[in-house]
Amino acid sequence: MSDKAILFNTTRCIACRGCQVACKQWNETDEVIPTEQNSVRSVNRGSYENPPDLSPKTWMTIKFIEKPQGDSIEWFFNRRSCMHCTEAACVEVCPSGALYHNEDGFVTYDKDKCTGCGYCEQYCPFDVPRLDTNIVTGVGKMDKCTLCTTPSLNRLSAGEEPACVNTCPTHALVFGDRDELISEAKTLVTGLQTTGSRVYPKATLYGEQELGGLHVLYVLTDSPGVYGLPENPQFPIAATLQRDVFRPLTKVVWLMVAGGLALNVLIAWFRQRQLSEENSHGND
Amino acid sequence: MEMIERYTRAARWFHWLIAIVFFEMALSGLLIFLPWVPSGTIGMWTRLIHRIGAVFLVGAPAIFMLFAWQRSWDFIKEAFTWGKEDLEWLRAAPGYYFGGDPRMMPPQGYINTGMKLYRISIILGGGVFLITGFIMTFLRGIVPPAVFQWCLVLHDVTFIVAIGMFLLHFQLGVFHPRMDESLLSMFDGKVSGVYAKSHHGKWYDGVNNRDDDNSSE
Repeated sequence: MSDKAILFNTTRCIACRGCQVACKQWNETDEVIPTEQNSVRSVNRGSYENPPDLSPKTWMTIKFIEKPQGDSIEWFFNRRSCMHCTEAACVEVCPSGALYHNEDGFVTYDKDKCTGCGYCEQYCPFDVPRLDTNIVTGVGKMDKCTLCTTPSLNRLSAGEEPACVNTCPTHALVFGDRDELISEAKTLVTGLQTTGSRVYPKATLYGEQELGGLHVLYVLTDSPGVYGLPENPQFPIAATLQRDVFRPLTKVVWLMVAGGLALNVLIAWFRQRQLSEENSHGND
Repeated sequence: MEMIERYTRAARWFHWLIAIVFFEMALSGLLIFLPWVPSGTIGMWTRLIHRIGAVFLVGAPAIFMLFAWQRSWDFIKEAFTWGKEDLEWLRAAPGYYFGGDPRMMPPQGYINTGMKLYRISIILGGGVFLITGFIMTFLRGIVPPAVFQWCLVLHDVTFIVAIGMFLLHFQLGVFHPRMDESLLSMFDGKVSGVYAKSHHGKWYDGVNNRDDDNSSE
């Protein structure tokens, strides 16, 4: 079965944030809106962006990136959520096996298995997983986008699109077979680079090759850095070392040490007996 | 039979407290990497137990140092004080520990070179565990992710070495035919004069001289 993916076409996004709302509605990740007398308590953070960051209850946000353009500014909208990497560091470092790839290639998790250790959060090249872990006791859980495959809230198995895609009024978000979306995205990028009232020479497709291929693809009008995306995301070296060197080596080292020590005891015991026998013979 | 006190009551209690907590820490740390161990709530408990153990493993030496700082300082100084006889020990050790002629071994002080190496590994390894563990527990999300990642690697590598050193300690203390009084001495605190003389000759002479001085008074 071929992998599925979401294609995010930034040129179509109007930052209505319907996707954010649909995500919260479907996944039941409501948050309490702080109120004060007769009104909602609001904070001006100098941006239309809201909420300001991902959280255990906010699995996706639309980033508002502003670049000065003459007297005005130019907006770059970016969808920030789990990228569902093929080479997913979070899956690799998860000690309890809570995080895994599902049959569509998405990185999802069994929340019952999660122990709240936070390794996924610390190894994610895109800084996506969020935890409510208590700093003293260490008790808590991780949460992130499951691409609407959370058990009992699984839209995909019911033949539906992810909630964010379903609600997107401008079709900036499209769901489908990854291979088809890639060829579609390439056509879009070529179009942006060459035709139209404004050409985008730096337009690019993000997510085709990165980390073995992301399951969220991006059609960008400028370089990934402008959108706050890492230009060259890497599987952390520390995770590679753990996986390929230390973990396999551990058992070998311990077995060799234990075996060597056991052998040492046997030889020492045997030779000591020999020595005492020689001595007793010498005394005769 | 002549018996000499080797470990004070406080030292013995301290040793067994650390032994129990080390075992608890090793087990609760190891469990989260064994896929057949139930995860989820039980994984959370093992992580909590690991943190409680850390309080003891840090707190016990800290309290010991507070009340017996001179002994603690000597403990550290002794491990890092090396001389010619240590090189001789290193040369003679393989033969000795494989049951060769014990007379080839130069006389040792209160602790021999191997014990010095073990102490050094405890001091350095404990330091690495403490620092990396503290960062991962309390500074997750505050330090850059790369720092956390390398702390985890260091914590794991130190653990691999620590288990190797523990196996060595366990083998010498419990199974090795040459250390036949070692385990018992950690319970009653005493070794026989014969054992002290053959294993820690310099220390034995020192203790004997002191006793002689006392008796001459």
